[in-house]
Amino acid sequence: MSPILAISGLSKQFGGVTALAGVDLAVEEGEILGVVGPNGSGKTTLFNVVTGVHKPSGGTVLFRGRDITGLAPHAISRAGIGYTFQQAMAFAGLGVLENVQIAGEHRRAGGAANPWPTPQALLDFVGLSALGGEKAGVLPFGSLRLLGLALALATRPSLLLLDEPAAGLNDRETSALVGLVRQLPGHGITVCVIDHDMKLMQMLCRRLAVLDFGSKIADGPTEKVLADPKVLDVYLGGDL
Amino acid sequence: MDIFIQQFLNGLSIASVITLIAIGVTLIFGLTGIINFAHGEFLMIGGIVTWLAVSAGLGFPIAVVLAILAVGLMGYILERGLFRFTLERPTNGFIVSLGLIVVLQHVVVLFWNPNQKSIPRPLTTVWEVGGVRIASVRVMVILITIAVVALSFRMITASRYGRALRASVEDRDTAALMGIPVRRYITGVFVLGSALAGLGGALLIALFPITPFTGGTMVMKGFAVALIGGLGNIYGAVAAGLILGIVEGFSAGYGFSQWTDAYSFVLMILVLIVRPHGLFGGTSGPRMAS
Amino acid sequence: MKTGNALRSLLPVLVILALIAAVPLFSPSNRFLSLAISAGTNVIALYGLSVLFGQTGILSMGHAALVGVGAYAAAILARDFGVGFWTALPVAALASAVFAMIVGIPSLRVGGHHFVIMTFAFGQLLAIVLTNGGDYTGAATGLDIAGPVTLFGADMSDLTRYYLMVVAFVTAAAVASWAIIHSSYGRTLRAIRENEKLAASLGINVGRHKIGAFVVSGVFAGISGVLLAYFLGHISPSQFSSFPSIYLALMVMIGGARLIEGPLAGGILVAFLPEVLNLDPVQSRIVYGVCLIAVIMLLPDGLIGGIVRALRVAFSGKPKQEAERDAAPSEARQ
Repeated sequence: MSPILAISGLSKQFGGVTALAGVDLAVEEGEILGVVGPNGSGKTTLFNVVTGVHKPSGGTVLFRGRDITGLAPHAISRAGIGYTFQQAMAFAGLGVLENVQIAGEHRRAGGAANPWPTPQALLDFVGLSALGGEKAGVLPFGSLRLLGLALALATRPSLLLLDEPAAGLNDRETSALVGLVRQLPGHGITVCVIDHDMKLMQMLCRRLAVLDFGSKIADGPTEKVLADPKVLDVYLGGDL
Repeated sequence: MDIFIQQFLNGLSIASVITLIAIGVTLIFGLTGIINFAHGEFLMIGGIVTWLAVSAGLGFPIAVVLAILAVGLMGYILERGLFRFTLERPTNGFIVSLGLIVVLQHVVVLFWNPNQKSIPRPLTTVWEVGGVRIASVRVMVILITIAVVALSFRMITASRYGRALRASVEDRDTAALMGIPVRRYITGVFVLGSALAGLGGALLIALFPITPFTGGTMVMKGFAVALIGGLGNIYGAVAAGLILGIVEGFSAGYGFSQWTDAYSFVLMILVLIVRPHGLFGGTSGPRMAS
Repeated sequence: MKTGNALRSLLPVLVILALIAAVPLFSPSNRFLSLAISAGTNVIALYGLSVLFGQTGILSMGHAALVGVGAYAAAILARDFGVGFWTALPVAALASAVFAMIVGIPSLRVGGHHFVIMTFAFGQLLAIVLTNGGDYTGAATGLDIAGPVTLFGADMSDLTRYYLMVVAFVTAAAVASWAIIHSSYGRTLRAIRENEKLAASLGINVGRHKIGAFVVSGVFAGISGVLLAYFLGHISPSQFSSFPSIYLALMVMIGGARLIEGPLAGGILVAFLPEVLNLDPVQSRIVYGVCLIAVIMLLPDGLIGGIVRALRVAFSGKPKQEAERDAAPSEARQ
């Protein structure tokens, strides 16, 4: 079966600095893939190039066989790729329910059956249904992260990219998030998580890809990758 | 050829005043993100102070110093009293400046009526060199501006404070982390920019009569120049000021004077469409990255 | 239930407008009616500006130019094509909308803080073009627009009738603005105001919607321009240059851009304050300026927003405040 997202030879230079040096990566339908790497390895650049924030210097991104290289951020979303940010999680000045309404109003037409047909159902799924009337800005940080996830899901993506989804969460909140993300493949949503938190990745992903200095240095089943001497070398002294 | 040289000089003297505004605009925007539209009114107040001082029998040089001091002080008071509170939301600072425009203009009208005000030319000599008539007052304006701009350059490029200032314009937050007292620099830049506007006003009234509403067109030109040169970029402001002043000078000399005010806008719109960061590159102001 | 809530937010404005429409029963002076008519034309433009600024978060400092395009379109249509008021209305609205698009596309491409300056520059440019337009635009003296406004055969040029017609237009503008705020389109605009990057990630074409909001505000401005031109009978470039633009921004700020009452309150306050306080034009402008600064520094939601908040605190504020105070530390603990 062909991968849902096929990245080939993707590169990005900022001025003279190479942030991505020809990365190949395939995300298979129905999996939860983890992309890891130390700070400055090119993870966030990869995320930004795939989601259209930056234009790539070279290479292609195919989504379900369609070339989406260099499309604008909103067009990427409409093509069926949902994504969440580390920082901008929700519209702080608007109501929680209104946030989810907005997120559901610009998706592409058609598609598969919707597991969460109403904004309320989606809030139920992430456990925020009691807070629908509040302003997003007053939510505690953990709830804000979950709302961010709900917004991305409201666009009805078939692929969801998560950039450090557990950053700033405590253990209880992290395990709640992991519980939710694990359910997503069952709803027909493929997930790609970008993070450096190995504990989170071990909980979530059966397959890992490792970036270092803008290149992929390992890709395979989680246990194998974690035993790879090259990966150990990169993470030497890290939290492995 | 004669008329060419003459228009060149005329253009240069206009460019001088515009550049003095543009430097203030570009520094204040670069450091605070505040678009201070009232900067043109600062210039107008400088002209009015000069007019009052000269009318009271003081000499032009003393009047210039008074204008610089008065407008510098005004900049200090307004920064401490108003703009300081809008640093987190630059748009509010911009709106405050709109309110200031209305207040400053009409306070002047209230006390000194809306009519044109002029002073006798501080220098009346006109040199004739090979058929070219050179008004010494224009030469004076150009020379004073060159001196002041050169001094500002030296301050900004050579001194420790200048380097810290440029670092703050480049990235306010990082500069603050490095121990640069950015808040104090903001006040300083407001005072410096205001003082330059005061000087610009004094020089302007030496060239042309002014009204309480002169600031409006002048600030747009100053902004056009700051934007064309790249906001936060002082060199760019000087270069763009020269370009605009000379274009205006020639256009007035060759009979398109009714379109003079349009050039700055057309030029600015074109430059921003083609090169949003100005011809010579600039900052987008603080906190615009995300 | 939700539409019920939304309708309730429109009710105060409708009641106030009904009261305003009843004013001619008390035989007001001609001066009052004239002031009210010009305030009304402003309010129509302000409702457009509130969609742009209040909902989308974009401030236009050249808005009077959009009003001017409408006014000049009406005058030129009447002079060259003998087109009357009712036909001029949609054509002028379209002209202003097209002008808004022409200004909006490059200005919004530039983005951020610069947009404000671009709108201001385009406004100035329009005034210069109108001044240098020779006989076609009447140069600095401007154009006369003569021609009765008739509605169902009745002459509307009479001051009281024109007043009632303007009130009807203001009502339509308020309802249109309310409908936008409570539509999914309004939600989209608010999303852009709150966070452009997040909005784009949810499939919103930010650039197109920003230009769209500017075009929508242009339609309001164009209609305002036609009403103004037919009321004054004469228009000139200075009416649509930078200062009128600043005053429009000031009115929407003073009233508060996000509330449906805001434009109405701002337009009426700015028009009638000098009358009430018996100020001459110069003094009143100083007062406006000081008000604008005070509102921005002290009441960022505008005057009406500030009053609403004060009332809320006065009636139910105490328990809510305490609840908020309680929420803060628990949040910090997490």
